[in-house]
Amino acid sequence: MERELTPSESLKLIETMIGQAKQSFSRNSFYFLLWGVLLIVAMTVNYYFAAHSDPRGSWAWAVVGIGGGIASWIYGAREGKRQLSRTAMDRLMQWIWAGYLATLFTMMIGGSASGNGMSVGSIIVLTGLPTFITGQLLRFKPLAFGGILFWVLGTVSFFMGMQAQALLYIAAMLFGYLIPGYLLKCQEDGLRTA
Amino acid sequence: MAFAPLDPVLHNQLRLAIVSLLVGLESADFNFLLEKTGATRGNLSVQITKLKDAGYVQVKKTFKDNYPNTRCSLSAKGVKAFETYVQALKGYLEP
Repeated sequence: MERELTPSESLKLIETMIGQAKQSFSRNSFYFLLWGVLLIVAMTVNYYFAAHSDPRGSWAWAVVGIGGGIASWIYGAREGKRQLSRTAMDRLMQWIWAGYLATLFTMMIGGSASGNGMSVGSIIVLTGLPTFITGQLLRFKPLAFGGILFWVLGTVSFFMGMQAQALLYIAAMLFGYLIPGYLLKCQEDGLRTA
Repeated sequence: MAFAPLDPVLHNQLRLAIVSLLVGLESADFNFLLEKTGATRGNLSVQITKLKDAGYVQVKKTFKDNYPNTRCSLSAKGVKAFETYVQALKGYLEP
């Protein structure tokens, strides 16, 4: 690769290399599939116990939070090693989700301190923000629609009773996380084999 | 019409390929550049050093799984030089 380039060869080379760089992508579907399943299970367990006036259901959130956190951390570390290039978008998404978690925990602590707790609707609405932004950044419409769905279902749940809120939460996770996550996985698998 | 001179640092097939790859990324591993350019390790290393000496590329050497790892990113000077190069290139190609 040492000979003199013509201007048109230079331009073609630039286009080819920029195209090559675009093909490097990180896999994000794992997180949506993992958390979609875990949060649906946690809410279902919680719903079941609450229906029987049993307070043990709240343990499901702790188990899911710790288990999911560890699984996400292990997967993220492995992906980080596999990934040979990093885009500004990767960093942006990482910090958007970190910021979301920080906000969620802060609001949960605030809700707990005030004795009012944090409503399911607020959690759903808040989750819509990083989901929508991720969908837009990836230019993946099912995920962006998932984010919008979080906002709609979250708003509806503000006017509902506890049982309906739980069902809306499960629906939000199913249609906002799990199904877009599966579709995203199909797209990523297609890109990998291409 | 006078043609703007093309930056000799960038007007080289492998160096231009490296910078073109890096312009769309925040950083890239040496092995990524190796795979995408199809260059030999030795040649790639030499050209990265030339880009680094020109101040176009920042090189960070770390360890990954106990093996040396080189990560490259484009500096602000490199981005500017690339933009100038592309502008100059347009002058040659436009009728």
